[in-house]
Amino acid sequence: MAQSQGWVRRYAKAFCKGFFVAVPVAVTFLDRVACVARVEGASMQPSLNPGGSQSSDVVLLNHWKVRNFEVQRGDIVSLVSPKNPEQKIIKRVIALEGDIVKTMGHKNRYVKVPRGHIWVEGDHHGHSFDSNSFGPVSLGLLHAHATHILWPPERWQKLESVLPPERLPVQREEE
Amino acid sequence: MSFMKLKAISTPLTVINFINNNNKKSGQWWQSLHRTMLRGVLGKTFRLVGYTIQYGCIAHCAFEYVGGVVMCSGPSMEPTIQNSDIVFAENLSRHFYGIQRGDIVIAKSPSDPKSNICKRVIGLEGDKILTSSPSDFFKSHNYVPTGHVWLEGDNLQNSTDSRYYGPIPYGLIRGRIFFKIWPLSDFGFLRDSPNGHRFSDD
Repeated sequence: MAQSQGWVRRYAKAFCKGFFVAVPVAVTFLDRVACVARVEGASMQPSLNPGGSQSSDVVLLNHWKVRNFEVQRGDIVSLVSPKNPEQKIIKRVIALEGDIVKTMGHKNRYVKVPRGHIWVEGDHHGHSFDSNSFGPVSLGLLHAHATHILWPPERWQKLESVLPPERLPVQREEE
Repeated sequence: MSFMKLKAISTPLTVINFINNNNKKSGQWWQSLHRTMLRGVLGKTFRLVGYTIQYGCIAHCAFEYVGGVVMCSGPSMEPTIQNSDIVFAENLSRHFYGIQRGDIVIAKSPSDPKSNICKRVIGLEGDKILTSSPSDFFKSHNYVPTGHVWLEGDNLQNSTDSRYYGPIPYGLIRGRIFFKIWPLSDFGFLRDSPNGHRFSDD
């Protein structure tokens, strides 16, 4: 009787110890290093979700690369939606601070991206809720950099940071 | 005499032998000492690194999901928060979307994501904000767009806030300040805005 009680107590102690070590480490890892997410919607076709609603891509989101808010033009990034803070959107970075972009559907024809902001667009123009709707977004909303597609297996690939040539900024910020 | 001579010769030889043997033994002794020291040091280093990672992760979880202590600098929230005051911020309201008008929040600066700003929430999404100063004849209003908040410092003369850079997205808010810890003369919950209410709900 005493032996089985001792076993239970030891197990509970070991469980608590493991719990308080494993959970914070896992949560910190998923928040700061990398996590995985499913992409929904058609705003990034054909790069992501080319099959539409039949199969959603699962991408690897890399938080570590954006810990200093360093992004390049052409990166696919996930950010907190400026219109709905409960939602995250995934778009491509078209222009950085100081660039002048020629917009498609924005109320101003040309927009200079203010300091600390970026201009993001989905690859599927016309079906994308992006900076053409809500303007430049603050870098503070940046969540992660999508680097690889992990699922489905036939779509395993590294996501390249390419800018579509027709979307090059009109004027870049001088280095 | 010959016996004495032999002894005289053998003594240095034995002494040399003794020293040689001791050197060999002491060499091995040093080697084993080094090995255990190294293993001990390596073990201790790994344990230290492990503890640092573990406590770092707990600190991250605590600040990200519960709250933490923050030091504020700058004159934009006087007299409610003075320069170099230490306050307590909680992050639960942000996660449960419970930020309300009149709360003092910490947010990431819209023009510099690495620095934080500390202001009061004057308006939530959909509110109509009076942006003209009371001395203007023509009153101008701004509506706060969806997903954004309007922030203003309590020290209206000396604060760059939403009157300068516009409403900021809710996603930039990091936490809500509700308690002042230092200076002890001002210990306690924070006061309401000294500027009265400058918004009207429609």
